[in-house]
Amino acid sequence: MTLSFKRIGAILIKEAHDFKTNINILIMYLIPMLLAYIYNNFIPGMPKGFALSFGLLFLVVMVGMYVPSMMIAEEKEKKTLEVLLLSPASSVEVFIGKGLLTFISIIVSFIILIAMSGGVGFDETVVILVGGILTAVFCIQVGIIVGLLSKNQMATGVVGTPVYMALLLVPMLGSMGSPALEKIAKVFPTYYYNDMLYRVLYEFEGNHTLIDMLPELGILLGSIFVAFVLLLLVYRKRGLG
Amino acid sequence: MIEVNSLLKSYGDKKALNGISFHVREGEIFGFLGPNGAGKTTTLRILTGQLKADSGEARIMDLDVMKGTREVHSHIGVVPEETNLYERLTIGQNLDLFCRLYGCDIRQTDYYLKRIGMSEEKNTQVKKLSKGMKQKVLLVRALLHSPKILFLDEPTSGLDPASADTIHRVLKELNEQGITILLTSHNMEEVDKLCNRVAFLNQGEIVEMGSPEALKLNYSKRRMKVLIDDGHELVSRELDMDGEESARLVSEWMTEGKVRSVHSCEPTLAEIFVKVTGRDFV
Repeated sequence: MTLSFKRIGAILIKEAHDFKTNINILIMYLIPMLLAYIYNNFIPGMPKGFALSFGLLFLVVMVGMYVPSMMIAEEKEKKTLEVLLLSPASSVEVFIGKGLLTFISIIVSFIILIAMSGGVGFDETVVILVGGILTAVFCIQVGIIVGLLSKNQMATGVVGTPVYMALLLVPMLGSMGSPALEKIAKVFPTYYYNDMLYRVLYEFEGNHTLIDMLPELGILLGSIFVAFVLLLLVYRKRGLG
Repeated sequence: MIEVNSLLKSYGDKKALNGISFHVREGEIFGFLGPNGAGKTTTLRILTGQLKADSGEARIMDLDVMKGTREVHSHIGVVPEETNLYERLTIGQNLDLFCRLYGCDIRQTDYYLKRIGMSEEKNTQVKKLSKGMKQKVLLVRALLHSPKILFLDEPTSGLDPASADTIHRVLKELNEQGITILLTSHNMEEVDKLCNRVAFLNQGEIVEMGSPEALKLNYSKRRMKVLIDDGHELVSRELDMDGEESARLVSEWMTEGKVRSVHSCEPTLAEIFVKVTGRDFV
């Protein structure tokens, strides 16, 4: 199988055009920014760094999963995927094109969120960016799996919500002090990104460089591999139809 | 160009195709006629590689569809029954995507849009178009990579007569340029008007096949309708085509200048379908 950058680019351009007019998806990008803004400006006594930490986690995890799942489910529902696959584009190219658009838009929103928070030190930015990139890649793959398992856009709610909740809420609750919850949360890779965010944005003592985060980064890399294998299995079993 | 042998397809216990065989010659317009659920779309989806047959053989331009569809896809254009365009995108954005995917000249878009009279709408969002306009865009999308064979599933279903006429005209022109066309329809008039040959599909089986003219002649009762003016009113008389009595009467009326029209009474394709299958064409 040969991947064509031209075809991936064609799908990326199409997704970018579609993205601009897709209100459902645009709102998802606005939520973390809006929440971060509200936490920062209207809720007194918020711990420093909480707003940015929550915004980044929501962006990378929730948007990362929701957007590709909706894109794929919509194509299935409206039967546009059929005609796309009658063209020389392969399903892998379709996945990459869609995933790439999600990835690029997450990175752009990521930068906007950091700018909105008034900026973070260079070392800290590198840590949360690299961790964010790895978590986003993992979540985008999970989103594609949800899209493959869903018959239509509405079904992504049924299939996706438990997954979204598990990957977003459990790590957050796990970091609130309950040892039992923390034990469960450690199963989810997003816990480790949440932990990285906590250490970088809440604790201001100690080192917060990439080297200090190697175990977490390793777990995230391993999770990407596991999600990829799972994606292949689901694709082989369910296909795109 | 298209060769199908003993194609079988079942959905659970229900047989959708029961071993159909047919071929389509190069440059032909071939029509699949049949009521809903007859197996027309299933046949088309198998031929275009969107569905796997249980058994049988299907070849397009000598390429085995069952073994792989990558190369087959470069030779075929498909107009599906559903208007599966990207609704939020403009016509131009929809077509540009496929030009890029096929690596064909982006100017093809303008050429075909002009040909179907939709150049002005290029920057209109698809969701704002009528069904007829969307159908035309689907046709253009299927033609961008200059396919040799065009598959159309119910191409004028639900269209107004003017839009259907435009589609028919473009299909005729494309066929004159050498494109082989296979279409499915339950519109008898459409098939009669467009197709060189038709196959009647009923409950997964081809029950009759041939040119519309040949079929109509085969099932003709050899009768004719003569409209005569007897001086007071117009009277319609039905006569056998064969026999001295008919010849004498027609000759007499013609000599007397009474004949206003003469029509042979071939059955329509719909009547033939009912005769062959014993069921209504719905």
